[in-house]
Amino acid sequence: MKTLPTLRDKKRYMAFEVNSEEIITRQELIKEIYNSVRSLFGDVGASEINFGLMSYDGKYGIIRCAKEKTGETRAALACVNKIRGIRISIMLLGISGTIKGATEKFIQKSLIKGLEPDKEKQEHPIPWVAGSHQVE
Amino acid sequence: MSLFDAKFYDFYVHPAPDSIAQLTFEAKRYGYSGVAITNSQINPDEAEKPNGFSIYSAVEISCKPSKLRDEIKKHNRKREIIIAKGADEEFNRAVVETEGIDILLQPSKFNNVLAQAAQDNSVAIGFNAGSIIHTRDEARVRELTVMRANLKHARKFGLQIILTGDYYSIYDLRSPREIAALASLFGMTAKEAVNAMSAGCLEILGRKSPDYVQEGIELI
Repeated sequence: MKTLPTLRDKKRYMAFEVNSEEIITRQELIKEIYNSVRSLFGDVGASEINFGLMSYDGKYGIIRCAKEKTGETRAALACVNKIRGIRISIMLLGISGTIKGATEKFIQKSLIKGLEPDKEKQEHPIPWVAGSHQVE
Repeated sequence: MSLFDAKFYDFYVHPAPDSIAQLTFEAKRYGYSGVAITNSQINPDEAEKPNGFSIYSAVEISCKPSKLRDEIKKHNRKREIIIAKGADEEFNRAVVETEGIDILLQPSKFNNVLAQAAQDNSVAIGFNAGSIIHTRDEARVRELTVMRANLKHARKFGLQIILTGDYYSIYDLRSPREIAALASLFGMTAKEAVNAMSAGCLEILGRKSPDYVQEGIELI
């Protein structure tokens, strides 16, 4: 049964980009972020944050959190540094109130930015700026 | 205007010599305007870096308290940012009582006497957010307790605060907003965190410019 609209929790959606040595699977990422949230804020804090991974393609993704807990979620994401020995850094691209907004504003924008030939990049042809993984 | 529109710097970065270019390009993407590389032999002016990005050189000194003055003299000539990592109480005391040291990073036993001395000699107190990222459980609890206590002293005595991420490679990089979120875990406000990463760093850089003579005196 659906929750009454007036009783629905306010959420925020965060677009993020994963920089890692090897591709991390969805399950591994969820588990690691969850561990990070729980070790920082405990079970009560984790339930208040209401974390969820909405989508993830190996490089870009969107996670959900409670409206008032964006700062805490940011801190928990920053604490993710290693998954089964692979070094990883999660970079937040932006926060939006809807999944559509997060995708259009941050993920598509950064994809376009990555595809466009950049003057600065032409001067210094470096492979890691364009992203080490191919996005499907 | 957002609080996070300022220029951000990190003064405690130690990349491998062959990955400096990689780290600086990534750091720019993460929103930094400059980094100071510690204990590196590379000339910051010659290093490969993106446009509009600055590299400074810093030095982390660890020596006997009696040799501190000689070390400072040696590095002051080169106009390097001098960082001392907090150790035992004797070393911390010697650091805050010596003029010329810029940052005392994460001292574990800090008290009002040390804070007063740090204020007199304008030594900034550094908070290492990287220690929150790389430790877990009891170790992290200890770090957070230390940082909370240090922040209390820094506020009471009006000490300059510096925030750093302790980066070794591109996978350690975190954006300024995330460092501010980590700083909020031990009670630092967003405004304090932004000042610690921009205005505080710029003040130290001002002290390193050739026009600077001594505290309050500058060539115009």
